[in-house]
Amino acid sequence: MSAEEPDMPDFNISKFSFLFFRLLIVCQLAGVLFIPASVCLADQPRMVLANAVVCEHISSFRPVNPAVVFSVSLGEVFCFSEFDPVYEKTAIFHNWYKKDKLIFSMRLVLSVPKWSSFSRVQMRDADKGPWRVEIRDEDNTILKTLRFSMSD
Amino acid sequence: MSMEQFSLMFSGWRWQDLLDIVFNAYILFRLYVLFRGTNVLRVLLAVVAMWIIGRTANAMGLVITNWVMQGVITVATFIIIIVFRNEISGVVRTRSLGFFLWEIPRTQVNTPVHIISDAVVKLAAAKIGALIVMPLKTGVDSIVSSGADINASLSREMLVNIFWPGAPLHDGAAVIQRGKITRAGTILPLSQNRHLASKYGTRHRAALGLTEQSDALVIVVSEERGRISLVKDNRIHEVRNPGEVETLIKQYTGGPEPVRKMRRQTRELIVAAMVCLLCTAGLWLSFSRGMETLANYDVPIEFIKPEKKMNIIYASASRSRLLISGARPLINALSPDQMSIKISLDGTSVGKNQLAITRKNVQLPPGIRLKNIEPDQVELTLDTMAEKQVPVQADFSGKLPDGLTMTRIQVVPETVNIIGGELSLDSLTTVFTEKIPLEELTTSGLVNVALVMSPATLRPDDKHKKVQVRYTISERSPDDDIQG
Repeated sequence: MSAEEPDMPDFNISKFSFLFFRLLIVCQLAGVLFIPASVCLADQPRMVLANAVVCEHISSFRPVNPAVVFSVSLGEVFCFSEFDPVYEKTAIFHNWYKKDKLIFSMRLVLSVPKWSSFSRVQMRDADKGPWRVEIRDEDNTILKTLRFSMSD
Repeated sequence: MSMEQFSLMFSGWRWQDLLDIVFNAYILFRLYVLFRGTNVLRVLLAVVAMWIIGRTANAMGLVITNWVMQGVITVATFIIIIVFRNEISGVVRTRSLGFFLWEIPRTQVNTPVHIISDAVVKLAAAKIGALIVMPLKTGVDSIVSSGADINASLSREMLVNIFWPGAPLHDGAAVIQRGKITRAGTILPLSQNRHLASKYGTRHRAALGLTEQSDALVIVVSEERGRISLVKDNRIHEVRNPGEVETLIKQYTGGPEPVRKMRRQTRELIVAAMVCLLCTAGLWLSFSRGMETLANYDVPIEFIKPEKKMNIIYASASRSRLLISGARPLINALSPDQMSIKISLDGTSVGKNQLAITRKNVQLPPGIRLKNIEPDQVELTLDTMAEKQVPVQADFSGKLPDGLTMTRIQVVPETVNIIGGELSLDSLTTVFTEKIPLEELTTSGLVNVALVMSPATLRPDDKHKKVQVRYTISERSPDDDIQG
């Protein structure tokens, strides 16, 4: 016993340290796998703007005759925006400006996994001139500015 | 005139007004002193009398009299200059600066004439040549300046000593003023008179030369003949009896009663000074107190910029209407450039500023009073210069030809640097091109166009006064659609 006694504590220590290191490895793995993923989620946009145009009208949820100059005789102009993918339910804004004056703003809700939406403005003879549509997210960040002109 | 009106006339006097009156009265008095005893003054007085008659005639409605007087005064002004040109030039030429400004010439009233006559008689008896100058009203300082300043007390011995042959100063003339020999050995200007009798020598010619240019009395003792001559006003009077010398000198220089003469002169000058003062005060009162009138003037507002960087981009008023009052002649003589409104922009900041226009901001000529300011407030918008990078957007006019559509556009460069007021730049989000006519665009291409600045105070970077617009034109199809 006296010969074995000194060995006992050594065995216990090595067993304890083995368990401790195993726990550490598990924690490290968990950290490597999950912590960056959570950081990435925080930075990741809630949606990606795939396409945005100003067009003459919308047909079957697709823009028709996208252009940069429109005649006021059309009576209306559409702004079409397509988001793919959409990671979570969110909203965007279509802000219509004539020269530098905000004429109309529309909130559009986007749903996962992808979503297309549009806004429409009626045009009259007095609306000739340069226009722009700013597509903004809920944080008011400009996603895209579409510039076009209304002509005779 | 009631006491109230009288007190109103003298109310509101400033020290500048008193200075104004005294200064102009002094100028008038100096003119009197300068031309005293000459014919110019008499003619000037006649002109003043005619002017008074003319004004009276005007007030009474005598049209022709007024018209004639005005004509005569106009002509008289030229006549004075032409007829009295010699006297005027004599006054201007022979008087020193001190005489113009402050000196009052006196006749030789203090000089003990008997000492001079005694000395002259003695010099004549000894046949010692002598030349004695006695300046009167006009003085001789500007004509004779050579010789030696001696400023010695007058005595018979001193005079004889000066002209004693061999004495250093015996060749020139001695000048006697106010009982003193002020100068000796002076050279007098020689007369150019060709009709001078041959018996007269250089001394007589010198005496004549001086009297041609001044009113001085010159006593000449000839060396050869021992004769005494008194020269005055360009004439030589030979004294036959030496006993008459004293009487003649007194006669020429101001008479036998010097003290009374002196008092008379002082009285005359005091009266003249008082008349000058009254005339000027009367003129001033007629200008500044007569016929109070109200008038309105639109005066431009001047803004004084403390900082060069600061720009005024808007002012609610550029002029302010001043209601002023004053004597009618002063109001009539007023021109807009004599009035100004100056507002300092000290303490203002970028943006809107309300500034009050107070009496301190208004500058008016003396004698004009400010009654009202309209508007008494001005709103200013100030701005500082800044730069901003702004996107450019093409602007179009007209209509694309049928069947065509513009599908794409690109502006090069996409953004330009705009320089202008910080406030204007804050609200600027886009800068537009000049209108590009659509009718002429049938195929894809490019066009160079200038930028339109709104407001016009903005300006683009020198490199980007024009931008290039590249456009794509394609056939229009009714079913044309685009896949995202």
